[in-house]
Amino acid sequence: MTICQFFLQGRCRFGDRCWNEHPRAGGAGGGRQQQQQPSGSNRRGWNNTSQRYSNVIQPSSFSKSAPWRGSRDQEKPSFGSFDSGASTSRNRGFGLSQNPFASPSSDEQKDEKKLLEGIVKDMEVWESSGQWMFSAYSPVKKKPNISGFTDISPEELRLEYHNFLTSNNLQSYLNSIQQLINQWRNRVNELKSLNTSTKIALLSDVKDGVNQTAPAFGFGSRQAVTFGSPGFPMNNNSSDNAQNFSFKPSSGFATALAGSPSVFGSAPAFGAAPSASSAITTSAPTFGRGKPEITSAASFSFKSPAASGFGSSGFSGLPASMAAGPVGAPVAPAFGSGSSVAGFGSPGSHSLTAFSKSSGDTFGNSSISTSLPVSNGSTTTDNVLFTPKDQLTAEELEQFQSKKFTLGKIPLKPPPVELLNI
Amino acid sequence: MSLFGTTSGFGTGGSSMFGSTTTDNHNPMKDIEVTSSPDDSIGCLSFSPPTLPGNFLIAGSWANDVRCWEVQDSGQTIPKAQQMHTGPVLDVCWSDDGSKVFTASCDKTAKMWDLNSNQAIQIAQHDAPVKTIHWIKAPNYSCVMTGSWDKTLKFWDTRSSNPMMVLQLPERCYCADVIYPMAVVATAERGLIVYQLENQPSEFRRIESPLKHQHRCVAIFKDKQNKPTGFALGSIEGRVAIHYINPPNPAKDNFTFKCHRSNGTNTSAPQDIYAVNGIAFHPVHGTLATVGSDGRFSFWDKDARTKLKTSEQLDQPISACCFNHNGNIFAYASSYDWSKGHEFYNPQKKNYIFLRNAAEELKPRNKK
Repeated sequence: MTICQFFLQGRCRFGDRCWNEHPRAGGAGGGRQQQQQPSGSNRRGWNNTSQRYSNVIQPSSFSKSAPWRGSRDQEKPSFGSFDSGASTSRNRGFGLSQNPFASPSSDEQKDEKKLLEGIVKDMEVWESSGQWMFSAYSPVKKKPNISGFTDISPEELRLEYHNFLTSNNLQSYLNSIQQLINQWRNRVNELKSLNTSTKIALLSDVKDGVNQTAPAFGFGSRQAVTFGSPGFPMNNNSSDNAQNFSFKPSSGFATALAGSPSVFGSAPAFGAAPSASSAITTSAPTFGRGKPEITSAASFSFKSPAASGFGSSGFSGLPASMAAGPVGAPVAPAFGSGSSVAGFGSPGSHSLTAFSKSSGDTFGNSSISTSLPVSNGSTTTDNVLFTPKDQLTAEELEQFQSKKFTLGKIPLKPPPVELLNI
Repeated sequence: MSLFGTTSGFGTGGSSMFGSTTTDNHNPMKDIEVTSSPDDSIGCLSFSPPTLPGNFLIAGSWANDVRCWEVQDSGQTIPKAQQMHTGPVLDVCWSDDGSKVFTASCDKTAKMWDLNSNQAIQIAQHDAPVKTIHWIKAPNYSCVMTGSWDKTLKFWDTRSSNPMMVLQLPERCYCADVIYPMAVVATAERGLIVYQLENQPSEFRRIESPLKHQHRCVAIFKDKQNKPTGFALGSIEGRVAIHYINPPNPAKDNFTFKCHRSNGTNTSAPQDIYAVNGIAFHPVHGTLATVGSDGRFSFWDKDARTKLKTSEQLDQPISACCFNHNGNIFAYASSYDWSKGHEFYNPQKKNYIFLRNAAEELKPRNKK
């Protein structure tokens, strides 16, 4: 496609509808990266080339990015972590290449649209066709699974039925089934309605998978993409751990499961746990890399049920649970049991919506997103919102330290927290 | 075996001679019913290998038992023996010499049943139900391969209680198939791994799933030189993917097709989509049969990419299927597969195994 000259000058009046190509690669990466900063300032002075299309690019990239930024913290942790992983990896790529025209953006957009339409269609078919609900799903074959769907085979379900029957605990089986169904319904509706935050999360889910060479089997390996190969072994471990927690729930699930230790004993938590375990899998590696901002959101939604009732009360515990202490395995059990309690103990729909809704309606846009960067002044949040000083080049550091950015030398990375005056 | 009315089964066989007047649809295809079929859903079927004279059918069921029948050429089925597990039996297979039957169960064990002595001993142990079991006969070793929901694939020498080898799976094993030297395992979360068994089993390749939903069943097919060359993978979404391991042209050679769906191309009403419960390849013709939750079976020619036949709808889902060693008999089991959850489970409903003459219907379409 021809590149739109007006767009380059920043004055294309068709915007997204324009038939010509609007190259926005650099803008997209930078836009996401710099969301937490006030909208106007950085973009204008960010880059010579980006300045040309700053006016036009803002609406599109920001309409996607803003809720994404907000939702990043509040979303289902799995999305959040993926987003952060995706954005950082992409940002680093952009930062390094300094080439805003690098990726074909309009084709990407078209593919995305098709993908999303495909997902909506698939969801409609899934609902109306009466096919088996508890299945992993991916919008395009060969792509990784979309999070939020648990894979339970009919045999596993049936075995659980039999186990519960023999232990005379059928009611809890029925309850867990109902919860799983509700969760599935919520997820399907979410994907059908596709507000912008789910869209972004989905796209990052799918795209992460595209980059990787190894096939993505569920959440754990998806992380491998965003973090590159070093992440992979970590992921396997963490996913094992996570799954172990879901699978050996005897402590956490004592309430509901009357001591049936089998797979399905965790399966209801499966319903909850995929969000949990995916959060766990994602959180463990991200913790390792010091990017707990998203996963702290995960810890909020999970620890809070463990601590108190589900929902808003959990948020008071925000900074506390963030204590970036022993991350990884020791934290994960808390997640595992936390999620299980959430899945079972609290009123089903509420907890499930909180798990499954990615748009963070339960959390609202207000306090969490804004308070997080401020209150979490600890170093562990740095890598997501801010860059630690040692990761900046001398030039970038100079730019941050000076009163104003110099055109052409504006850093693509976020500033270190130390230099911020808030 | 072309016997029609001699259903030596349960009494209901006789009335179906007049077909239309009865509303009982348990055998619309008028196939031969196997006598004294299991009391609960049948999870797996397996016919004896060619090394054994005659045809013997093994079926594992959710009533914790494994039953063996002799199937005679006349169509008569004679119950021979039975073994019990302490949990539902999920998979069965024969050894290559036909003397032993291996059974995998939800009680996390697998047993070896010596048919001559009618003794069964435990040969495998997992941490979770064992979903698949296959016998591997290699030139330099023989073993039993068990796949379990504990995400491991274990290989057992039947004489030792420790596995010869343990391979980790990315997720719970849902289905597997073995034709030496190839093995395919499909796991939860759309995982798909191919193993090569020469020398010792090792992972050959992880394949990105050609299907969008949960994997349900897999079967390996062979090429004209009788070497395993690819597999068919069925999902819960009424779709089967044919996948070649090393095709000359992957984009063209690999394909998926829809099956086990209701009202064909009428786009007005939403389709009902059913899971594909089993896939089996005809040992001689190379055509395949699929059975689904909709209570139908279909025969397909994957090379001509056409459907050969679809059956009438049975009143229960078809949960398992199997060909005998020379492809003359197609066995399929009609029992509830839990595809609609516990509400539709009726313990009183009878479960059937039907035998059909498969020599003619599965001949490939001649490519014009």
